[in-house]
Amino acid sequence: MTELNQLDLYKEMVRIRQFEARVLNEYHADKSPAWDIGAGLIPGEMHLSAGQEPAAVGVCAHLKKGDAITAPHRPHHFALSHGVDMNAMMAEIYGRTTGLCKGKGGHMHLFDPENHFSCSGIIAQGYPVACGHAMAFKRKGTDHVAVAVAGEGAANQGAFHESLNLAALWNLPVVFVIEDNDWAISVPRSASTANTSNADRAAGYGMPGVRVENNDVEAVFEAAGAAIDRARAGEGPSLLEIHTVRLWGHFEGDAQAYRGAELETLDERDPIPAYAAAIGLSDDQVAAIKAEADSEVDAAVRFALDSPVPTADDALLHVFA
Amino acid sequence: MKDARAVGVVANPASARDIRRLVAHGSSVTAHQKLNQLRRLMVGLGRTGVQQVLVMGDRSGIAIGLVEASGRPSGAGWPSVEIIDEDLTNTAADTVNATRRMVAAGVGVIVVLGGDGTHRLVADECGLTPIVAISTGTNNAFPIPLEPTVAGMAAGLVAGGRLDVERVARPAKMLEVRCPGSGRSERALVDVAILNTERIGSGAVWEPGTVEELFLCFAPPDGIGLSAIGGHLQPVDRHEPVGLAIRLAATGPPPSGAPTQRVAAPIGPGLIAEVDVASWSKLAVDQPVTAATTSGTVAIDGERMFRFDSELTVTLRADGPLVIDVAEAMEFAARSGLLTGPVAT
Repeated sequence: MTELNQLDLYKEMVRIRQFEARVLNEYHADKSPAWDIGAGLIPGEMHLSAGQEPAAVGVCAHLKKGDAITAPHRPHHFALSHGVDMNAMMAEIYGRTTGLCKGKGGHMHLFDPENHFSCSGIIAQGYPVACGHAMAFKRKGTDHVAVAVAGEGAANQGAFHESLNLAALWNLPVVFVIEDNDWAISVPRSASTANTSNADRAAGYGMPGVRVENNDVEAVFEAAGAAIDRARAGEGPSLLEIHTVRLWGHFEGDAQAYRGAELETLDERDPIPAYAAAIGLSDDQVAAIKAEADSEVDAAVRFALDSPVPTADDALLHVFA
Repeated sequence: MKDARAVGVVANPASARDIRRLVAHGSSVTAHQKLNQLRRLMVGLGRTGVQQVLVMGDRSGIAIGLVEASGRPSGAGWPSVEIIDEDLTNTAADTVNATRRMVAAGVGVIVVLGGDGTHRLVADECGLTPIVAISTGTNNAFPIPLEPTVAGMAAGLVAGGRLDVERVARPAKMLEVRCPGSGRSERALVDVAILNTERIGSGAVWEPGTVEELFLCFAPPDGIGLSAIGGHLQPVDRHEPVGLAIRLAATGPPPSGAPTQRVAAPIGPGLIAEVDVASWSKLAVDQPVTAATTSGTVAIDGERMFRFDSELTVTLRADGPLVIDVAEAMEFAARSGLLTGPVAT
């Protein structure tokens, strides 16, 4: 298993948070009217991952070049942790030609073949794709793994169950990661799901199912390391459900009235200050790490803003493979 | 006012879902299985006269599922079910709070379904209220697998006063660990392990190479978990007034010392470790022992709990929770004819 480095885990969580915070500001900066998601320099819907950093950082710490991740509509934390270039990612979010998909995909459709990273707004679509990656890795005789990430709501989709079934049947090197942030958009688990933990569902397919509570990055790190080591060693698939927290709305502009009093508790559930305290960082260290992350994010925003906007002619390019 | 016809039920929704399914071969006990066990428990409780059950609330649908099931035709004859769901946190604090409320309500017995950790939390709060300990965890030493129907019958007979609790229940031993430097104090039902790691991480202990010292309440040769290491050095019964202190040598140089014995111990499901032991000795009741290790992490009943960097003392106590021996209770019930009678004509 990869050696745990607490400072590295913390820095990566801060890097993601500062990226998301900057996108949050930039997204709203010129939305006029505020409800028009097509307005402004960053068009389209925006799903940010603040609060869910422990899941991405704890899992991706064990991945190496050539491993694959399929992510859902809330993808930034896993993309950054998996090594997707921040400049190209920011440019894609801004819809510029230097973006990962030449500006055609936007924030929900980040495709980076070099890093085997993909995501989609179609719920649960990444599960079968991850199985495809894993099948290829196995047939090629490599020790690479595929990680399929989605929320707890996605686990009610047929694609989830079909993927677990085939992954178990074919003993694929895939780890199914479920980020349980308690809300499938605005629907709680109790209103949609007969199972109260998706870790239980793994048992039906004969694979290990583990649930990590408390949004604890070190607990995620250990469990993910064990799951990924199993997959690399040919022991087959496993399922890891991480109980995390979505600090912001489902999408930017979400008033979150459905969360009620829970909204008052979110600050105290923020995993980043909690981890800084747990590993004994000083205020100066925290500020320096944040400044370093901001510097990288500033450069990415400048890169995006300096990049060309697609022309009408570009619409016909790179449409078909 | 004690209502002997009421029984408390604590079912840990989180047991059997931790990392030991990945690093060992731990099985899963799903929420549906736990609810099914509670249904069987209710039949046993209802048949022996229990009128009311106070059940710990949870966010896994177990308690609510039990209430819903009690309204079905198959729930006829069950006790009424009341959920203790104030201030739910979805953490171990729910077990602590629920146990306190059950004790305050004067239940006759508390039935616990969970692992060693769940039972430890109940043990800290249950006082003189006897418990029935049912294993739904991964590698449990304290609770044992029991058929809940039968466990419910035993609990009901005790709660209703038809079985004398002093005849069928005995106090468990506990280990008290104190860290004067930090003021931290915890109690264990099975083992206290001192680890040479700084990581709390996922909690579970499965790497024997991290264990420096081990203190055991009891050491069954047929057990599983860290206590199995002691079981093959010096078997200690769960009611014998001694414990064990073991120094392991797997971590290398002195002060652990050269190994004197190697034990093949089943420390987890499907996980047998070769453990080198430097020395071991018996623990006497109420005699504090100072740990040789002065920094690291303390694991209580197989779960990493807290870091320390000063002196630690460990003391074996004989005043743990009163645990109903279900086999003994049912044998006494049979010999007393409590569940037999003439055929009605």
